[in-house]
Amino acid sequence: MSSVLRGIWDNTYGLLVDDGQLAVGAIAALVVTWLAAQSAALQENAGWLLLVLVLALVIANLYRAGRNARRHIS
Amino acid sequence: MDLTSLMVAAAPAFIASAVEFVEATTIVLAVGITRGWRAPLAGTALAVLSLAVIVGALGVALVTVVPEHLLLGFVGTLLLLFGLRWLRKAILRFAGIVALHDEEEIYRREVAELRAQGRSRTEWDWVGMIVAYKATLLEGIEVAFIVIAFGAKGVAALNAAIVGALAAGVIVIALAAALRSPLTAVPENWMKFGVGAMLSSFGVFWFGEGIGAHWPGDAASIPIILATFLAASWLSVRFLRSLVPEGARVSARNV
Repeated sequence: MSSVLRGIWDNTYGLLVDDGQLAVGAIAALVVTWLAAQSAALQENAGWLLLVLVLALVIANLYRAGRNARRHIS
Repeated sequence: MDLTSLMVAAAPAFIASAVEFVEATTIVLAVGITRGWRAPLAGTALAVLSLAVIVGALGVALVTVVPEHLLLGFVGTLLLLFGLRWLRKAILRFAGIVALHDEEEIYRREVAELRAQGRSRTEWDWVGMIVAYKATLLEGIEVAFIVIAFGAKGVAALNAAIVGALAAGVIVIALAAALRSPLTAVPENWMKFGVGAMLSSFGVFWFGEGIGAHWPGDAASIPIILATFLAASWLSVRFLRSLVPEGARVSARNV
């Protein structure tokens, strides 16, 4: 039973976090967007700000992954 | 809630759940074919019951009790984390850095492990039941999460997402039962790519709604966000292929 519960926990955690840096970066992007939305001037466009931040995060994370892979094989 | 809004919940729930059902079905098939069907079917039924309780209790409570803007913010956060994880892995797979998901290989490995364990013909097959229960429950938790996430807009959306997921389950199980082999023809890698982009798009959209951002055309913005994610992903695949040339494959744990 405990192995099943452990499996459920591992799976639930693994569901959301595969790469720690990406997960932390995504949380940071959400916090920045939420803070920006507190300003009346930025609130309307906060969604687009989040999209830009997330795309920048994904591209940076993939670049790092690619560099790591290249270093690993060379 | 209009038909388009319901489709916004049902269609992505269908596609995302289909991927999970294919993975669970592969394991249950492997157990059934190697060890007989009674125990894995009992394990699967028990897991479905557990999942019904999870969705019933958690999903309905979330959708009916939590204020909508808080719920959208919370679900948007979870969807974004969930979607980015899928999208990153899918991009690395298509770039050749991580091996592609191979359902046939997973099936062969599972069958070999189950055969190696052996079984007594007279006793109840606890191994077969637990393997099927775990596989169905663990993949099912992802389905439950998908249903709750896409159904976060209200009870009608939740019902639409449940219908989408159930339809996916019925089709996948019927196909697997008819073919008696893993569904290798399902383009899982492509689906995971699309689902990753879709989940991320919904995450951005709903978190934006939760914090009071304005989306032009409301849900009509989702295809634009999705297209942006897909375009960025496609460019990332091309970039990674040039950075790490074809054939330079390494395992996921090294990335």
